[in-house]
Amino acid sequence: MTGSTLRLAWRNLWRNRRRTTLAVTAIGLSVVLVLAYDSVLRAYGDWMTETVTGPMLGHVQVHAPEWRKDRSMDRTLRDVTATLSALRRDPEVTDATARVYAPALAAVGEEGFAVVVVGVDPAAETHPMGLLAGAPALPAGRSVLVGRLLAEQMGLRVGDSLAVVGQGADGSLANDLYRVAGLVDTSVDFVNRQGVLMALGEAQTLFAMGDEAHELVVRGRDPARAGELASHLSALPALRGLEVLDWRTLSPEMVGLIELVGVAWLFVLVLVLVAAAAGVANTMLMSTHERTHELGMLLALGARPGRIVRMVVVEALMLGLVGALAGTGVGVALVAATHRTGVDYAALTGGGPQELSFGGLRWSLRLYPTLAVEDVLRVVAAVGLTSLVAAAWPAARVARLQPSKALRG
Amino acid sequence: MGPVWRDRAEKRLRSLALAAGVLLAGAAAAATPRAPDVDALLARIDDLYRSKGSVARLEITVVSPRTTRTMRLAAWTRGEEQVLVVVEAPPREAGTATLRDGDNLWNWLPRIARTIRVPPSMMLGSWMGTDFTNDDLVKESSLRKDFQAKVERRSEAPPGWWIGLTAKPGVVGRWARIELLVGDDDLPIEERHFDRKGRLARTMRFDEVRTMGGRRIPSHMALVPEGTEGKRTEMRYLEVRFDAEVPADTFSLANLERSR
Repeated sequence: MTGSTLRLAWRNLWRNRRRTTLAVTAIGLSVVLVLAYDSVLRAYGDWMTETVTGPMLGHVQVHAPEWRKDRSMDRTLRDVTATLSALRRDPEVTDATARVYAPALAAVGEEGFAVVVVGVDPAAETHPMGLLAGAPALPAGRSVLVGRLLAEQMGLRVGDSLAVVGQGADGSLANDLYRVAGLVDTSVDFVNRQGVLMALGEAQTLFAMGDEAHELVVRGRDPARAGELASHLSALPALRGLEVLDWRTLSPEMVGLIELVGVAWLFVLVLVLVAAAAGVANTMLMSTHERTHELGMLLALGARPGRIVRMVVVEALMLGLVGALAGTGVGVALVAATHRTGVDYAALTGGGPQELSFGGLRWSLRLYPTLAVEDVLRVVAAVGLTSLVAAAWPAARVARLQPSKALRG
Repeated sequence: MGPVWRDRAEKRLRSLALAAGVLLAGAAAAATPRAPDVDALLARIDDLYRSKGSVARLEITVVSPRTTRTMRLAAWTRGEEQVLVVVEAPPREAGTATLRDGDNLWNWLPRIARTIRVPPSMMLGSWMGTDFTNDDLVKESSLRKDFQAKVERRSEAPPGWWIGLTAKPGVVGRWARIELLVGDDDLPIEERHFDRKGRLARTMRFDEVRTMGGRRIPSHMALVPEGTEGKRTEMRYLEVRFDAEVPADTFSLANLERSR
């Protein structure tokens, strides 16, 4: 392809400014749309992964075999302190913490309520992804934090004395009184509805457990690589014989949803293909039709049909790419503008709920649009390819042009 | 001895044989017993441990794959609505009590000096860490009233009858079907509970039949839940008095909280 072809094509393209601008705008707008949609999808996927792996699941969890089946109090992990320090020493692990889960009966007055006591390490759970992120401090000693919805249901107030009755890991009766130090609002439904959170050590004492826990929550650097982390960790001597699972295995229904988001861009891409194809095909058909006489002249002067076809194809490609680039510019600018602050879906849907509840988790409705280089390349390539395909029809017409007829027509 | 005499003797022998034959036939008829009157039988089983008032001491052993725990309990009942159970041993749990009055269930916890009512949502939870549920203590399930009964088949060892009980339509309960093996002495031997999805949920075995408190009752029961290998709860009557006068104020919260 010579420079003259490119120059010629470019000049031809702008011979009818209005038509070309219209086509470029149509293609550009659809590219902006696709990019905006892609960025929201990406935000959606990240947001889902973050919410799912967030405070509850982590990237990898460790349990005693069978614990997940019946959550039996006595299926505990032993020597938790040693296991945790082994985990924290591992270079692949950024964070590891232990939890105790115990169903119990809790009461302020005489009315008992079904609760789940969650024993947590306050120091390890206050980071932004922890269960206690944003929660009031949990003082040492016999104090607890209570899920806000549970507290409302129980009519419980901060400072109240809460009786907790359950069954110890040895089957004995566990009961004690705790001071309510604060209420918690997490993104985990069951903690809000049923959770009574206390320090790990307190829970171990209450439920007659030694250096034991029911669950270890481990975080690595990248949730996408949790599977590798899980298989790496299960090889550690400290975790021998235990169930080590990544969040995808623990929450398969969420994984299905996230993967669905991952392919949703395909549908929108069809949109840009249709817009580009229509825009390019129409513009090129019109412009070649107008230039029938001129093209016939060129042929009569000895230009090879191949050269003319090439020119038409290059024009089409240019048209598409100019539109794609314009759209990309606007689209990327748009995403960049909203990336930091996020888009409030609640406001967009007209002041609906600020968050929604699904799958036992609470989801904030603020999304942070994000684009990857591949998203942009994909759209530009798609427009380019479509333009080439759309150029086939006008190009075929040009190729079949008889100079004599064309000159007359 | 003349022939006449011999003839008489022969006749006598023959009639004796005949009598023996009749007797034997009768015995044979007794060996294949007829199916029992289901309604009367269920009424009897429903009332086996019931009386207008009872006082008992029991021992409960909870066996799980990793631990075994034994509790000694004192229990009072009055009619079908009121039950009080107080733990006597082990010392760590002594004094802990459960009071049932109608549909309500309270636990008294001496360690923290609190009485807590068990919420409906926890009725299916374990009672005191056993395989019995709170619901078992509260429910007034009556085999005769709540189930449609049919004698299903003969059991040879142990000798008795299998009775199939299907929950009557409209009866809300945990069990859709119960299979009950009643021995020829009209005492229960085994009860299998099937949940609403038709799965076997647990099996209760009755044995160690003894005369206690003036009644012949199985004094030992083992409850084996399905789905958890190696778990069971055994309950043994140490002593029991039926038709006892139990004062009504035994079953009050005030009494529950009074240090026992």
